Amino acid sequence: MKLITVLKQVPDAEARIRAGAAGVDLDGVTFVIDGMDEYGVEEAIRLREAGNEVEIVALALGPARYEEAIRTALALGADRAVHIETDVDLDPISQARVLAQVVQQEGADMVLVGGKQADWDSAALGPALAEVLGWPHSDWTTKLELAAGSVTVEHDTDDGHESLSMPLPAVITTQQGLNEPRYPTLPNIMKAKRKELAKRALDEFGAGAGLTQITSQQIQTRERLGKVIEGDAASAAAELVRLLQSEAKVL
Amino acid sequence: MIQFELSDDQKQIQALARSFVRDNVIPVAAQHDREETYPATVVEAAHAVGLLNVSVPESVGGLGLSMLDEALIGEEFGYGCMGIYTILMASELGIMPLLLAATQEQQERFLGPLVEGPRLAAFALSEPNNGSDAGGLRTRAVFDGDEIVISGTKTWISNGGLADFNVVFASFEPALKHKGTVAVVVEKDRPGLSTNKLHGKLGQRASPTYEMFFDDVRVPVSNMLGEKGDGFKIAMRTLDKTRIPVAAGAVGVLRRALDESRKYANEREAFGRTIAQFQAIQFKLANMKIALETARLQTWYAAWLADTGRPHAEAAAIAKAYASDSAFDAAQEAINVFGGYGYMNEYPVEKLMRDVKLNQIYEGTNEIQRVVIARHVLQ
Repeated sequence: MKLITVLKQVPDAEARIRAGAAGVDLDGVTFVIDGMDEYGVEEAIRLREAGNEVEIVALALGPARYEEAIRTALALGADRAVHIETDVDLDPISQARVLAQVVQQEGADMVLVGGKQADWDSAALGPALAEVLGWPHSDWTTKLELAAGSVTVEHDTDDGHESLSMPLPAVITTQQGLNEPRYPTLPNIMKAKRKELAKRALDEFGAGAGLTQITSQQIQTRERLGKVIEGDAASAAAELVRLLQSEAKVL
Repeated sequence: MIQFELSDDQKQIQALARSFVRDNVIPVAAQHDREETYPATVVEAAHAVGLLNVSVPESVGGLGLSMLDEALIGEEFGYGCMGIYTILMASELGIMPLLLAATQEQQERFLGPLVEGPRLAAFALSEPNNGSDAGGLRTRAVFDGDEIVISGTKTWISNGGLADFNVVFASFEPALKHKGTVAVVVEKDRPGLSTNKLHGKLGQRASPTYEMFFDDVRVPVSNMLGEKGDGFKIAMRTLDKTRIPVAAGAVGVLRRALDESRKYANEREAFGRTIAQFQAIQFKLANMKIALETARLQTWYAAWLADTGRPHAEAAAIAKAYASDSAFDAAQEAINVFGGYGYMNEYPVEKLMRDVKLNQIYEGTNEIQRVVIARHVLQ
């Protein structure tokens, strides 16, 4: 069977990000494979190690720099990769429409994709992909077992978790708890060089400009109110209690 | 043309080493330092991901990584624990003479097994009464038919008692000085070889250091590297290369000193502001940054020279002396940034200074490095 792991490359969580008038400044930032997507790659490898006959294809839609993240997936154990290279920032729905075409061309049996993207914090890509493909979907998956023609999963809900069974093909969104991703070993990093990385252009997929356009960006900043309570100790304390009760609502 | 970009592979190697060190080295470094114990699980884990004995050639099953690759790995390990890095580095030091002078058969016999498990190599040159004067070896090698009989004492041998084999340097004809020396591979289990782990080191206490006693140890002549008389030359050509990882480890220590100092300076307050806002502290951080960038550039430059087959002895000596001297300065300035806390082993900076002191001494003291550099200047 064929597994597709969709991945993104995002700023390293330890990187210091600056924001200016022109938006987020990514100059000099270290990028890594999105941790949420890495669970998907790891799970695909584990399915193979459990004795399933699988081909693992890493699929990514993004700028040229994504190649490093794709190489990481190949070093981890993906067999080959498809990179739709573009500098266009597409919304998740438009991304899903593009990625779904590759999934269909490949004839994949399962798509694994991170539950949430670390850069824009969107959780839409997995569900949107399932919607476009018309496939069943499990979000926030923490456990996965393959059976003949179907997959059984455990996934988080608001109140706890539930088990689901669904026929293949299916889309699985992955998250922390599903597994503990391994390191790519040095020998595998060297071997990954020789694995196929096919480049595709975005205009092959009729994506257009996307459904939404970013018109401005601002980074959330933490600011103090700078409020100073005047008066003697007793009245200042009374005022502080009032503010904590009625404004901050912490008492 | 000049370019400073790492290749994609090198970025991956660096990223792997960085995560490995964060998860496997930093959490246990202080404990192994305090207890003076060998970090067997770290070495096993390093082998499992392929970070051990990386210079073993592809022709005998290794990765055949370059000196620049090794420098990237060295900086990351040096950042986490210079003592633990010395275990890996000293194994590469034991491998280097075989890369330079072993036959294919010898590489298969000695280097092949090193990639199969968490095994180590070692390099046995120093003696109790002889360090920098490598031409005046007292260890004897007597040729007896198809065997070489080795007798004498070696000391300060990193990994010596643990390694699968030591490359031992000995004199077969003291009157010939340098030209009367040989390099011989001595396997761990040869009768007559005994070792003693040394205790009481100031730093790098996770790295096991040995005295080795050779009591008429017999090895076949087929264990000799190169020809009779090549010993000294092999030792010097080895050190001309392996000083680069010593420099790389020091660069890692330097980066750690800067990181820890920056973090602390941003947290600690005095006189109503963080100490990072005082120029006295800012200048220390700036000086560490100047040293970090320049030491790394020189280390990479020396590695590039070695990798491209260019003369590299002087550049490696500059890298080794400069990186280790400036890492020592940075580590002791980091203690100043931390004040009283810096003097306590609860915080990581005093260990940086104790550890990197050794980078100024081993694989040729920094005085010897300056002799090498001056010789190039005057020639």
